[in-house]
Amino acid sequence: MRGSYLRMKLHCLDRKFFHSSPSLAPIQLPSPMETHLWYVIPSEVKSKALLNQFLDILSPCEKENVFQMRGEEPRKRALLARALVRTTIARYQINSQVSPRSLRFRKNIHGKPELEWQFSDHWLSPPLHFNISHTSSLVACGVTVNSQIGIDVEEKNRTIKHNILSFARRYFSKDEVQFLADILDPEIQRQEFVKLWTLKEAYVKALGKGFSGAPFKTFTIRYNGGGGVNPLENLNCEAQEIVVDTSDEPIELTNNWQFELLELAGSHYAAICMENNFSSEGKRTVPVKLTVWKTIPFLEEECVSGTDAVKTISGSK
Amino acid sequence: MASVTASSVSISSLSCSLKQNQVFNLKKVSFSVSRKSFPSLRLQPAHRRFHVACAAKPETVEKVCEIVRKQLALPADSAVTGESTFLSLGADSLDTVEIVMGLEEEFGISVEEESAQSITTVQEAADMIDKLVEKKA
Repeated sequence: MRGSYLRMKLHCLDRKFFHSSPSLAPIQLPSPMETHLWYVIPSEVKSKALLNQFLDILSPCEKENVFQMRGEEPRKRALLARALVRTTIARYQINSQVSPRSLRFRKNIHGKPELEWQFSDHWLSPPLHFNISHTSSLVACGVTVNSQIGIDVEEKNRTIKHNILSFARRYFSKDEVQFLADILDPEIQRQEFVKLWTLKEAYVKALGKGFSGAPFKTFTIRYNGGGGVNPLENLNCEAQEIVVDTSDEPIELTNNWQFELLELAGSHYAAICMENNFSSEGKRTVPVKLTVWKTIPFLEEECVSGTDAVKTISGSK
Repeated sequence: MASVTASSVSISSLSCSLKQNQVFNLKKVSFSVSRKSFPSLRLQPAHRRFHVACAAKPETVEKVCEIVRKQLALPADSAVTGESTFLSLGADSLDTVEIVMGLEEEFGISVEEESAQSITTVQEAADMIDKLVEKKA
């Protein structure tokens, strides 16, 4: 029945394509210290008509970037990434002035993409922050309000060409190298490497200063929790906290960042890093509510929080 | 003597890159022509990008293409040229970092994060490599 429902919807869209852009259902903004995560599985998006609708809402510059990609699949992914961002953000501020196409983006001085707000007298929205990440099989967009956000997704079975410890010695901090070196099982070591990479990437992207603004060697991300000296004892324990220590900044400042690490759609690790503006004296973290949707823009969405598609590995409690 | 040598290198690399992607390099060519020092081509460090853009040997570009192909598992006949951006070839951030590491190993150089971040194309990587190798010598 689901199959035919989808086909019916597609059929309607095909006809609508010639008349107007499809409508988007509005959605409520995340509250402070809440993250919304939206993801698309590119292989599930097959309709050429739908892909054309996505193309239709992109800016000329974005279209150019899409077509610069080599190969149909990379082009599709680039297209989905921009379509996901535009449709998602537009849904949070549905009013007569906002459509996915009308949104403007710009880059901050370090090159991080952000939304350009068009304030009018009647309409004042809280600052909405977003960050995208994608792999060859998943495109994700994280959204927060009032808080910088960085996300990174990687396929769980991602391998690298270099030896993991060589790579870590070159790019990661001493403590992180030690953490990985202590893992004897090569498969677990590889998994932990990938998780660590996503966490580090998410942090740098949240900071928004680019790779050189926070060189990977200058900060350590580690799991804090359960009292065990060896973090491996508590690896899959949800009570674990993920913290970042920088050699430069005093410890108080680095409490500003909170992490969530998830297993997403059974196939990916997803790391989310967001600013914590609300911690009170003595308490390092505040609970973060995470809501995750699996979606195909304009077509369908499914809230997958609490299902097998979203498994928390570690995070703030 | 050095400036004469430098000018012949830069001319050949300019003409080499013209064949690859005329549209992109048109900008580079017109920029160099407008500089007063073009005839003698004393490569001043004044505009770092200009200097860097003229420095890469074709062999370096070729080597970079090879490393990129290997990292991204591209077939040997796939079009990878100086103007190819890592992004358009399908590299994500992890790939890019591995490419930089591969280049460091191949050429015996060390690339700072700031430089690594500014490399987006094969040509830029080759330019930076030649500059670093020159500094080492």
